[in-house]
Amino acid sequence: MRQIATLSLREVTRLRQRFRGGTSPLTVVILLGALALAVLAFRETSLLGNGLYRVGVAPDAPAIRDSKFAVVAADPARGRALVEQRALDAYVDGARVFARPDDKSLYAVGALKRYLEKAELARLSATYDRARAFPLRVEINYGSIAENETGATPKAIVIPSLMTPPAPFAYVIVALLYVLPITFISVFFTSSFMDEKINRRLTILMSAPVTPLQIIVGKMLPYALFALTTTAVLAYATQAEVWLAFLIYTPTILFVFSIYLMVPLFYRTFRDTTFISMLVTTLMTAYLVFPAMFIGISDLAFMSPLTLAVKMYRHEAFGWQEYLFPSAPMLLIFGLAVYAGTRLLNEEFLMGYRPITRKLADAIFLVLDRAHPYASVALFSALVIPIVYVAQLGILVVSTNLPLRLMLGGALVASALVEEIAKSASIVTLVEHRLARSTRQVLALAFLSALGFLIGEKLLVLFSVSVVSQTILSAALFSTGFLLVPLVAHFVFTALVCVLNARARVPYPIAVGAGVVVHAIYNVIVTQVAL
Amino acid sequence: MSAFFAIVKKELRAIARERTILIAMGIQLFIASFSSALLIGLLSLYDPDSVGIYGRINLRVGWVGATDSALITRLDERGVNVVPFATAADADAAFRREEVAAILVAPEERGEVVEMKLYLPRLEARASLIQMILQEPLKRYENVLRAPRGVEVRYTDLQGQPPTTFEFIYSALVPILMFFPAFVAGGIVVDSLSEEIENGTLGTLLAAPLSLDIVVGAKIAAAITLAALQCVAWLALLSLNRILVENVALVLLLAIIVAAIIACASALVTVMFEDRERSQFVYALFILVAASVSYLLDVSPIKTIARLASGDYFTGAAEVALFAGVLAGIASVLLFVTRRVGAFR
Repeated sequence: MRQIATLSLREVTRLRQRFRGGTSPLTVVILLGALALAVLAFRETSLLGNGLYRVGVAPDAPAIRDSKFAVVAADPARGRALVEQRALDAYVDGARVFARPDDKSLYAVGALKRYLEKAELARLSATYDRARAFPLRVEINYGSIAENETGATPKAIVIPSLMTPPAPFAYVIVALLYVLPITFISVFFTSSFMDEKINRRLTILMSAPVTPLQIIVGKMLPYALFALTTTAVLAYATQAEVWLAFLIYTPTILFVFSIYLMVPLFYRTFRDTTFISMLVTTLMTAYLVFPAMFIGISDLAFMSPLTLAVKMYRHEAFGWQEYLFPSAPMLLIFGLAVYAGTRLLNEEFLMGYRPITRKLADAIFLVLDRAHPYASVALFSALVIPIVYVAQLGILVVSTNLPLRLMLGGALVASALVEEIAKSASIVTLVEHRLARSTRQVLALAFLSALGFLIGEKLLVLFSVSVVSQTILSAALFSTGFLLVPLVAHFVFTALVCVLNARARVPYPIAVGAGVVVHAIYNVIVTQVAL
Repeated sequence: MSAFFAIVKKELRAIARERTILIAMGIQLFIASFSSALLIGLLSLYDPDSVGIYGRINLRVGWVGATDSALITRLDERGVNVVPFATAADADAAFRREEVAAILVAPEERGEVVEMKLYLPRLEARASLIQMILQEPLKRYENVLRAPRGVEVRYTDLQGQPPTTFEFIYSALVPILMFFPAFVAGGIVVDSLSEEIENGTLGTLLAAPLSLDIVVGAKIAAAITLAALQCVAWLALLSLNRILVENVALVLLLAIIVAAIIACASALVTVMFEDRERSQFVYALFILVAASVSYLLDVSPIKTIARLASGDYFTGAAEVALFAGVLAGIASVLLFVTRRVGAFR
């Protein structure tokens, strides 16, 4: 514990030295100013169509205050002439709007329509009393008439023209705000490891009586505290419950850190760090935002913890299953990343300048316990399940862009690819380092890998299938049914890949490709049966 | 001058070998396709008008009330099948047999306020979809009710086209694709300069003998070249997708100028701070501020490129020249600073 505190303190000192003298308060001021400016820009302008239209208004027309429209005042004759000249997209004269019959003008009218309808409603409620301005009330009930007569069901009375669609955009954006500070300071966290590497201090650090785990935790601690503080501040500022925000965001925060921990371990040049970080940030944002947007539409929304945050802001309840569905994989990945970090934190691995795939293979080999290859292969396959699972959910998100036919096919092939690599990579590195030689050994390893994978998969399915049971694809991705069939199937695919690569000397990508083809065919058959 | 091109060539070769640029281009492609997928997905759920899916939805709604109601006409116009029932119990039975997806119970249109009841399925996803479809007819019916009450509503007959996709293409997709390469260029300049400084290889270069401004200039030139190539690729991709970009030459020119501005600014930051950690942090802040300000100002890179690409009458070479002026300013500041720093080294 003391060592961790010392390492944390050292990390804080390092940062303070970076921003020593007058720069540190100045940096904070600039940072806060920049964030305030960003919030202002976000609130005051429309993100889509900002400044895209030029609209003329007659002197007596209602003022148009929307950043989508650049407004030009003109008298009616000139205004209409300018529309004809294509200089203006539309012209508003009193209650009439002039346009051209071309696309751009029609889009401008479409945008104006949305703005003016809202402005009209505001005018109505300001001019008339409420009953006259809004003469229709609709009581919304859920369930049949008979059920509602008992009086126990929720109901709401709405005015149609004032009803906004239940779109969760605003909430999702607020929920994403919690993650932003962490991605912003990630450069400091990664730099901490890069510094040790550049200054070649890691060897000295390693020879001190501290374990790699203590080094990682010690370096992470100040940033984790910072992340928790911003979470608390944001939750307090947005009137959310602080302890609930902690509960929801802690797995996400740890997940983000586990990814940023991997970046400095694998980089070769500074550009690598920047682009891997950029890639990670993009994919992570997509992974967090996309499902949450579909809250209330599809249960798959629960794969993102932001959905929980949106529910928190809407004061809706969620159960343990819904909480664990996004959180457990993130926590497991964090555990795995920290463990991998402790195995990889050595000078030889950090200093190697080799292709990324080569480094990955080395990393897998270092993570395995050479004294117990069989046990570690089974364990490895079981432990990479959360990564496979997050990757597959990500694939699911991306594949929803495609038409349904392609979406099913694409998702099935891609998830087969992820699974085959996860199961065979550890065996292939063992073979490469001559820790497994004979066909029998390779087959035994393939069986253990398949077994480990299946056990991990089933454990995960236990709590996830009840949440996503509605979606068709989940049947294929988390193939339920007889246990023996998937075990044999997994073993056959893995054995195929490994034997092709180890014995027949087929290059790994091609061997995996062969495994994927067989696996995808199996997946298609399973889905057909499930459908 | 040959030393300048030698460094440019070396930078480009290093980036090509590390496949860094492939990651960068992959990110951009992902952002572009992801944001359009998100938009289309959301539109079909929350703004079904825009994607025109009303025609494909066969929604049956049970109706309990007078069969000459103006609301029935409005519902018909939207393609909703109205199934009249004599009593609420009949409607309820059909609802439970799932013959109708929802029930509307409408009293006579008397009194100041008309109060209706809507019964939706319990499943949240289906309920919100049905509610979304019914909203527009209900709004129109509200306008019908307003007329006899002496409330005049303007602009109800505006036609136009749903603008969201158009706005997305010109104010989001085109700026993202044209300016993300500039953002990448800035990152490349920060990294490759700070790497030379932190690894101590800058000293070797300066002893070559090369002056600091030539080294910095060459790195900027390499980054801009890459940005320009990416922009050309994205413009080609847009045209393959039949997305019309007007004023292509000016759009490309503006993208290159902005890439140059950002590359110069990031070089300035790196020359001042020297290490990657602070430089990247300050550079990220700079981008955040620049993007925010760009949203707030009337003449900004984002608005200008959106207007150029969508063929705005008032936007042309003069606006692009303005940004060229900004570039000249920042480039001369950079030159001044590097000369002074270079003199100390």
